[in-house]
Formats: sequence, structure tokens, C-alpha cells
Amino acid sequence: MSNTEDTTLANFTIDENLILVNESADSPEEIIRKLGTLLFDNGFVKESYTQAVLDREKVYPTGLQARMAGVAIPHTDTDHVLKPAIAISTLAKPITFQMMATPEEKVQVEIVIMLAVHDAKLVIPVLRKVIFILENDDALVAMKNATTKTEVKTAMLKHIESMNKKVK
Amino acid sequence: MYKVKIVVVCGSGVAMAMHAAYKLKEKLEAEKLSVHIDGSGNNELPGRIANYDIVVSNVQVTVETNKPVFNAIPLITGVGENELVEKIIVKVKEIQAEKSA
Repeated sequence: MSNTEDTTLANFTIDENLILVNESADSPEEIIRKLGTLLFDNGFVKESYTQAVLDREKVYPTGLQARMAGVAIPHTDTDHVLKPAIAISTLAKPITFQMMATPEEKVQVEIVIMLAVHDAKLVIPVLRKVIFILENDDALVAMKNATTKTEVKTAMLKHIESMNKKVK
Repeated sequence: MYKVKIVVVCGSGVAMAMHAAYKLKEKLEAEKLSVHIDGSGNNELPGRIANYDIVVSNVQVTVETNKPVFNAIPLITGVGENELVEKIIVKVKEIQAEKSA
């Protein structure tokens, strides 16, 4: 597996073209647009995807307070997705997101993991492994401290591999 | 023994709901509790809630209900997960006892 090639797991792409490191953004909208654009430009989602993610975030926010970091997992319905992938951004400074299930609470988000899922059943094992990163203290710290896209990607892949026995 | 029915609710009833549902099922089965768990989108919940005993949700539940509703977030972040699962276990056993009598 070369660091410069994309990496597909069960056809689910985690790729440096879909990663931003220490990105500057002042709002959830701004970072969601940036990541949505990466997914669209690389052919993973339809043009409608980014607006759908923004709309969904307003109604069903995705901020989560993991032990080691504030993480947001914006996503939308499968209709807007062509091929499954995740886009990741670490942030130069935290962005305030509303908390999932309790929107009156806020999360200082340091890592944004945008999900593009075309058919949940097909990718559920990989998706579950990705979501489990919220409980992986070391992986979140590695991601937060990453200075290159490769380091972010490696942190995610290493985490997923560690989940291989736990989630089938 | 009555099989308690749990619905896990998400915005679109897919990714997050499935993860929380799988986790919950594993934890309850470890306690030898046999339950039925489904995922649902918040939009479909009003039409479906009658079929369930317990609601576990990743979103603010908008339908009015007397049924027990739990916040699923601890299942997603792992923070407070054990406490949440304990509460659900107590509720499951309660309902099992009621409905099996």
C-alpha cells in the first residue's frame, strides 16, 4: 500500500485527496463546504450533496464530545452519494458545532469526519470501524497532532486496522 | 419470556442508528437479555413507535410518547456508555417482568 495511492476498504475510500490538515475555517458551514467540495471534485458525491449536508446539520447536528477531542461527523442521505468515502479535516482552531441529540449544547470541534455513504448495508462494517474512532484516544490524539495529510490518513487506517477483530 | 422491542432513532435511520443498535445489542446479549432492536429515521418514528417498548435516540425525539426515551450519544462516543447501558438493562428487565406476567 503506497502512501500516495488511495486506499479502498470494501470499496470505501480514505484518500489524501479527501484530507485537510490544520485547516482554517470559522464556522461549521465553511468547513462542511470545503470537505463537500473535495468529495464532489473527486467524484464521490452529487452536486446536491454539500447543501444536503448543510441542511441536515441544522436539523440534526453532529457535534460529539469524545474523551480526547471534539469531533463532528456531518453526513446526509444516501441519495446524494455516488461512491462511499470519508473526507477528514483537522482544524487550526476549534469550531463550535451544536451537539448531536442536544443541540442547545455546543462542542468545540477539532476534527471533522464527513461521511459519504451510498448504501449503508454494504459498508456498515467499515462505517462502524470509522465511528469507533471516537473511542480510540490514541487515534484522535494522533489526528489532532498531525502535521501532514499522510499522518491523518495513517491515523485513520491504523485505527481501522485495530478494529478488524472487533467489528466484522 | 417477552422479547423487549427497542427502536434506535437517527436523523435518517441509517449510519449512526446502526452503530448504536449493534453496540446495544452486544451489550444486552452479554447480559443474557434477548431483545429485538430496529433502526428508524425520526420521520418514520410516529408511525412505528407503537410497536416498540423503548426508544434510544441520536436526535431530539419530536413525537409525544409515554415510553422511555434514552439519549444514544454515549453509545457513539463511549463517554457514559456503561451508565446508559445499565439504565437500559434495568428498564428492559422491568418491561420483561411486566409483559411476561
